[in-house]
Amino acid sequence: MDDLKFGTRNKRGDWTPHATVQPAPIWQMPPQLKAVLHWLPHYFLPWNVIFAASAVAYWAWVIPPVEVLRSIQIGWVLWLYAVNAVCVFLFYGAFELHLYVLRRQGSRFKYNAKFPSEQKSKAFWFESQVIDSMLRSFLSGVTIWTGLEALMLWAYANGYAPWLSFADNPWTLALVALAVPIIHEVHFFLVHRLIHTPFLYKWVHSVHHNSVNPSPWSSLAMHPVEHLLYFGTAFYHLILPSNPIIMIYQMNFAGFGAIPGHVGFDKIEVGDDRLVDSHAYAHYLHHKYFEVNYGDALIPLDKWFGTWHDGSPEGEARMQARYRKRKEKLAARKAQLDAKGATE
Amino acid sequence: MNWVTACKLDDIEQEGAIRFDHGSRTYAIYRAPDDSVWCTAGLCTHEAIHLSEGLVMDFEVECPKHSGAFDYRTGEALRLPACENLRTYPVEIVEGEVRVAL
Repeated sequence: MDDLKFGTRNKRGDWTPHATVQPAPIWQMPPQLKAVLHWLPHYFLPWNVIFAASAVAYWAWVIPPVEVLRSIQIGWVLWLYAVNAVCVFLFYGAFELHLYVLRRQGSRFKYNAKFPSEQKSKAFWFESQVIDSMLRSFLSGVTIWTGLEALMLWAYANGYAPWLSFADNPWTLALVALAVPIIHEVHFFLVHRLIHTPFLYKWVHSVHHNSVNPSPWSSLAMHPVEHLLYFGTAFYHLILPSNPIIMIYQMNFAGFGAIPGHVGFDKIEVGDDRLVDSHAYAHYLHHKYFEVNYGDALIPLDKWFGTWHDGSPEGEARMQARYRKRKEKLAARKAQLDAKGATE
Repeated sequence: MNWVTACKLDDIEQEGAIRFDHGSRTYAIYRAPDDSVWCTAGLCTHEAIHLSEGLVMDFEVECPKHSGAFDYRTGEALRLPACENLRTYPVEIVEGEVRVAL
């Protein structure tokens, strides 16, 4: 597949798509019915259907009966950890193996031509991005994910969270299930913006940003505080009229859904002539430029708050204008401090 | 000024950079697309990463770690996360050798 039909490559080999990132067409004014209808299947396929199905499978085969959930016991919590860990290993590992170990599509459609395994860095444990990311994912990521999930299941089993049945409230629950990606996006934007404040960035979020060239295992390579905030998305279901299956969907959306944004490739080749969009570009630009795209493209929160970068020269110019202002502010503060120092 | 011979002009590719260590300090020497040669402090002002390993395009160098960018002619920081400018040093070419005033 010739990726240069879809983008350009610079002298380092980094690939950039021709197409800019577009927010979901539901926000276009005047409304574009045709565009919405064309986009609608992508709201479900393939990722959201996979994550929703995984929640149903968890409920059917993994989550113990309600009587067991009424008390937190190490046995079922460990079982839940083991299942989450195995699923993460298989799901993340499949992407890693296909794209980064076997390199089945080489660097076609790859934003950053280099592969993290070729770049040793002291920023990572054992100087390896992959080892560092895997350890953080399993030691802290899956542990906190499982802990919060167990807490939520315990809350449901003891009547501390509103549990609606699918038989009595199919429409309400369908709406809540439809809202899961929206809840995730708003929650992610808010906590992400929060951890980009200087103190939290320095002590918490910089761990995730060590992966400037993200790969699948970077998805959950975070500081434990960030894991806690990130998986805190489950807590909305303490107040929403929901159901434990939808809560699990929300958590699986966060746990497995982090992959597409960090896969490092714009498109995944399937067979000889099919391409699946990863929708990773907006978040890749965030990893590259830091202060753009705190959210994704489902809700244009970054557009509304002035931090949107769609990959276009205009997006670049807006980012540079913000940067110049920031530099001017820093220079003014420095001059003030120097003047103060001179008078003392 | 103390002029020090750093390397031969041919050691640097056009739109390329090399690292030059002198005493306890490290520098980056760039060869621009117009064949002019420039020298800056060797480490990114954001984190101490060698800029000579970064991507040189036109008159910019991009830090290989976090993609902060600088104009290597003036040392001006051009993109986050680098906010502090780089120090620059005068350069001259004498008989195919690059000399830097340190």
